Amino acid sequence: MQNRSNPESVGTLTGAAIPAAPEITRARGRGLAGSRWEPYLYLLPALLVFTIFLAVPTVGTVILSFTDWNGISWGTATFNGGQNYIDAFTDSRFWDALWHNILLVPYWVLLPAVLGIIPAAVVHQLRLRGARWLQAGLFLPYIMPGVLIGVVWRWLLNPIFGPVNAILKDLGFNPPTWLGDFTWALPTVGFIGAWAAYGFCYVIFIAGLQKIPQDLFEAARLDGASGWQEFLAVTLPGLRREIAVVLSVNLINALRAFDVIKATTDGGPGNETSVLALYMINSAFGSNRAGYGTAIAVLLAVTTLIGSLLVLRVFGERDD
Amino acid sequence: MIRRVIAYVALLLGCVIAIAPFLVTILASLKTTGELVQGIFSLPEQAQWHNYVDAWNQGRFGRFFLNSIIVVIGVVVPSVVLSTMTGYAFARFRFRGSNALFAYFLLGLVIPLQALVVPLFYMLREFHMLDSYWALIFPQIALSLSFGTLLMRQAFLSVPREVMEASIVDGAGSWTTLWQVMYPLARPMIGTLALMFFIWTWNEFLLPLVVNINPDYHTLPVGLLYFQQRWTSNIPLVAAGATIIFLPLVGMFLVFQKQLVEGITQGAVKG
Repeated sequence: MQNRSNPESVGTLTGAAIPAAPEITRARGRGLAGSRWEPYLYLLPALLVFTIFLAVPTVGTVILSFTDWNGISWGTATFNGGQNYIDAFTDSRFWDALWHNILLVPYWVLLPAVLGIIPAAVVHQLRLRGARWLQAGLFLPYIMPGVLIGVVWRWLLNPIFGPVNAILKDLGFNPPTWLGDFTWALPTVGFIGAWAAYGFCYVIFIAGLQKIPQDLFEAARLDGASGWQEFLAVTLPGLRREIAVVLSVNLINALRAFDVIKATTDGGPGNETSVLALYMINSAFGSNRAGYGTAIAVLLAVTTLIGSLLVLRVFGERDD
Repeated sequence: MIRRVIAYVALLLGCVIAIAPFLVTILASLKTTGELVQGIFSLPEQAQWHNYVDAWNQGRFGRFFLNSIIVVIGVVVPSVVLSTMTGYAFARFRFRGSNALFAYFLLGLVIPLQALVVPLFYMLREFHMLDSYWALIFPQIALSLSFGTLLMRQAFLSVPREVMEASIVDGAGSWTTLWQVMYPLARPMIGTLALMFFIWTWNEFLLPLVVNINPDYHTLPVGLLYFQQRWTSNIPLVAAGATIIFLPLVGMFLVFQKQLVEGITQGAVKG
């Protein structure tokens, strides 16, 4: 975080060098004011786009969620109190979707964090060379579109043509159809998400490890700490900020999951991998229940907010 | 020593697991369906380059590529310019309501697209913008501005104040100062920002899926989804389509790796 440079020192410095500069004196202490409305002009175009295309529809979501609108013509909408929310709480498909989002958490949030932090700590502890090069490979999946990840894994896991089952069969296993299997579909989608995210976690953790003062590690070594003890006593506490970042980013991804699931299972088989975002889109556009769909959108946003607040609560900055 | 070797092998394995799916997909894209079942790592007898031609023509990937490029340019350039202006305003002026306005912009960091896409669709319908590039460009700019404002404000705060004041003393207005003095100084950050906007726009899926039904306006991710659904059983063709999409990204990644990693590390706050 950059601090605002000290205006006092600047004022005296330039003021001494160039005495006849009235703007500078005026600028002192209250920023540079060319004219009073100048900053607003800089903000105006961005403010317009942001308000029209982000703020207004967000408010629209909240308003629509209290109507029974079908999404076809504006005249047909009437307020129905909180009926959409009551419907959601008594709708087993809503609970299924929410539950699937929650079931994704261990796979999309915790697993990649663990798979990222361990190699980061090992690379740092053993001072491995060439790790930067490996970092590039690990990171690659994270910049790929979710749909592409879905399409690639769909063929890799294809029961007839895919290499995963071919290898497993060679090893003597009798593998399931993964994405088409009622039991396995959700864990499979979960593993795909973990695969896509662990390189990202690794990169964040490696960057964080550079910021921990080296003498902390040396002190631990002088005290005869084992690698594991060093990890628990120095690495983990030193990475608290990065852990918070990784967990909240992953959690948000898990709670608003859409792309990968749309491309792999589209919620199937049956309803086994349906998630909130998918159910929201299908309700609003598939079943012409715009009001109900927006209620789910509100619940999704609230869930995401609660989730990230929880992570920040546990791992966030404390004044110590 | 043995620990180091084990560590290297484990790291290498992690790396291979991350890359292998892409490599295997490239290999599959050059085979016939028959060769596919003969072995994963077996090379095709004759590279089936026509899979790429077929995917390009049948899947209309040429058109989707063009659409993606148009949308990316239409989003990244204005987003960078607007973020530079807002970042500059918040970093260099003190004015009534600046804190409230800054907080308002940051709200975009906690509001996911999922939370506004349904009314957005109906709004764009009222504007007669559905099935057009505008339907992707305007909302995507709005989604980019929060992060851009945050990052550019930080970038401009780190420019020493004397630099700007010297320019004002020279008689330059704040607008000239921004583009002639501040912008060049913030260029590394602007590069990172542009790269992040590029990736987010290029990869965006939910927005184009919802607002553009007409295939003439599909971008690559949406195009790939429908292509997969149409050619489920022709895996080499689907693999070729997927390769067409990820190879340019890999190339960009290799060129801009440093900035990308930095951008993603910074962008983690976008959430």
